[in-house]
Amino acid sequence: MIDDHLGLEILKEIARIASSTLDLDETLEKIIRVIQNKMRIDASAIYLADDPGNLLHLRASSGLPVEASGHVKLELGKGVTGWVAEHKRTLALPEAMQDPRFVHFPEIQEERFVSMLSVPILFDDACIGVINVHTLDRRDFSAVETAIVETIANQVAGALRNALLFHNSQRLLKEQSILYDISLAVQTTLKLEHGLWVILSGITMGEAGGFNRAMLFLVNEKTQSLDGEMGIGPDSPEDASRIWAEWGKKNIDLLNWIMIEADRDEFKHSKFNRFVCSLSFPLGGERNILTETALQKQPFVVTDPRQHHLVSQEFIETLGIEAFATVPLVAHETTLGVILVDNRYNRRPITQEQLRLLTRFTTHASWVIENTRLFSKLLDTNQELLSTKEQLIEKEKLAALGEVSAEVAHEIKNPLVSIGGFARRLEDKLKIISAQHAEIADLKKAVEYSNIIHNEVDRLEQLLKNILLYSQAGTLQRGDTNINEIIEDVISIFKSGFYGRNINLNYHPGDRLPPIQLDRQKIRQVFINLFYNAMDCMSEGGEFSIETRAHPQDGPPEHVTVRINDTGGGIPEEAFQNIFNPFFTTKSSGTGLGLSICRKIIEGHGGTIHIVNNIGTGITIYIHLPLQKPADYYKN
Amino acid sequence: MKKVLVVDDEENIRLLYREELEDEGYEVVVAGNAKEALEAFHSTDFDVITLDIKMPDMDGIELLRIIKEEKKEIPVILCSAYGRYKQDFRIWASDAYVVKSADLDELKLTIRQVLAA
Repeated sequence: MIDDHLGLEILKEIARIASSTLDLDETLEKIIRVIQNKMRIDASAIYLADDPGNLLHLRASSGLPVEASGHVKLELGKGVTGWVAEHKRTLALPEAMQDPRFVHFPEIQEERFVSMLSVPILFDDACIGVINVHTLDRRDFSAVETAIVETIANQVAGALRNALLFHNSQRLLKEQSILYDISLAVQTTLKLEHGLWVILSGITMGEAGGFNRAMLFLVNEKTQSLDGEMGIGPDSPEDASRIWAEWGKKNIDLLNWIMIEADRDEFKHSKFNRFVCSLSFPLGGERNILTETALQKQPFVVTDPRQHHLVSQEFIETLGIEAFATVPLVAHETTLGVILVDNRYNRRPITQEQLRLLTRFTTHASWVIENTRLFSKLLDTNQELLSTKEQLIEKEKLAALGEVSAEVAHEIKNPLVSIGGFARRLEDKLKIISAQHAEIADLKKAVEYSNIIHNEVDRLEQLLKNILLYSQAGTLQRGDTNINEIIEDVISIFKSGFYGRNINLNYHPGDRLPPIQLDRQKIRQVFINLFYNAMDCMSEGGEFSIETRAHPQDGPPEHVTVRINDTGGGIPEEAFQNIFNPFFTTKSSGTGLGLSICRKIIEGHGGTIHIVNNIGTGITIYIHLPLQKPADYYKN
Repeated sequence: MKKVLVVDDEENIRLLYREELEDEGYEVVVAGNAKEALEAFHSTDFDVITLDIKMPDMDGIELLRIIKEEKKEIPVILCSAYGRYKQDFRIWASDAYVVKSADLDELKLTIRQVLAA
């Protein structure tokens, strides 16, 4: 018999055990040992209910044939233990086998014992387990003994609660560290697809979101549709178990692994990713669960897709889904996309826990997308700034060039005239001598050399002329001019040159063109340059056409258009980028100022010049000249 | 034989012009500055004068004014390294304006034209 004193001693010890460790199994084992030793009984067992509460698992025991483990499961309501669990009431049975509730369970062999005390473990008015004690001899359990076991049951409940809290906090800690790693990885990468990959991986990783598959759809503003952007998940059930296993092993250094995997870009090649990328759902079309998630900015959890009015049979078959969930990606009140997740392979129901994590991950995903968008916007703006800066530099360069060139040109011109002039004289004289002494070979060479000097000086003079023209292009002497007259004048200069090169000239002057305020000389120079270029690129012949038109109703300011077209094969792409840059040339003997002078002159008139380049065919040049002076135009 | 006065501050240019124009059959006198030019102008009757515009002591445009004030009928051709002075109204007093070049054909042609006029 147990007296109060012993009872107190047992309870003291149990209380000490319950508060000494957080490991539940260890606690239960120790409690069993105390019961066994102090209460002088022959067997004892602790059963704990599983999550839904239908089964009682044997967690710790002594004196029973089976080692304590999860192998023994008793159904709720069945047998003495099941009855106690169901009715949450203690049963003290001096002759247990005589009780109608007794059921024979071969694996625990309770029939070896005569008496039995079965006490429910209660927590928050729910039965979460049962403690049983058995004796081989008949025993009438006293009130004290019953009270002691019931108190032990309370202690076990407390230990269980502690263990549960501990487990939860461990899980939260782990979850936090995973989320931290993922957000760090996301912040480390600025490539949108890497950031998204990290997030979708988080959603599908066993340790974190735990979904089998995740599909990301982004809103396409242009086409007003939800387009598949990325899919993470195994291609098949076999693949699934392999991937989960690998992830399980590798998540020791999650951040590192994420960064390496993201860089490998392997996910792109998976069948599943390619499949997701091939999907697209119009936002304005037939409503479905994805578009509704985007439009309503609401998540959906669908347990039975066949019963859901927003899920069609086709949708189920295309995506191969059963139970699934969708969440919108929202940033600044705008829907960026939708994530769809499911547990296709392990068929586990989607838990509240998973949904909570999913929400966290989607918040992250929204940030990533938004950040990347902002970043690319920043890049664009930066690019714009850079090109504006380049334009400014070019303008400054040109202004400086204009000032310096006039001075330099003058200083260079005089010696150049001497060099060239005497070279010509030398050439003439040598020619005469050489004709008289044909036997002296060196004289012929000397003629050749002086001719080279003569030609090179001509080239330098041309360069100087262009530089001066360029530096003076800004000041215009304007008067009412019919542009056709200027063009006809230039045509007359080039007529024979074109004819000699077999170039067909087609001229279509516009009727009744209004007079334009033009600097005749400078506009003439523009056409000379353009004609010259055309002649140069069609040395084997071709078609050259020039056409003038008035555009009285073509929006302000009213203007005259000149269209020039050649069949010179166009300009190579690289060169085309630079054709308006001063000193850029494709010719071996050009100054590279021709087109930049043209542009400067045309723009000086408030007009525009642009070139359409058809590589392999030719170029078309459009010149638009406003009828009003730019100053007048801006005044209006 | 027609007489030409060449005024230029560059010695080599003077030599070049003299030789080229002599080959053309002119009698050529050269002057390296405005002072020399006026001395020659006062001592000899020329059929045509070529004037460099930019010179250290007095520029060709000023010289042009003095020459034209004294002998309006003598044709004067202004020669310049570049065409900037074409916009200067004072050059209207001259009979022609030639941009200097190693190719002297334009100058020779202009001389023939003003002599023929």
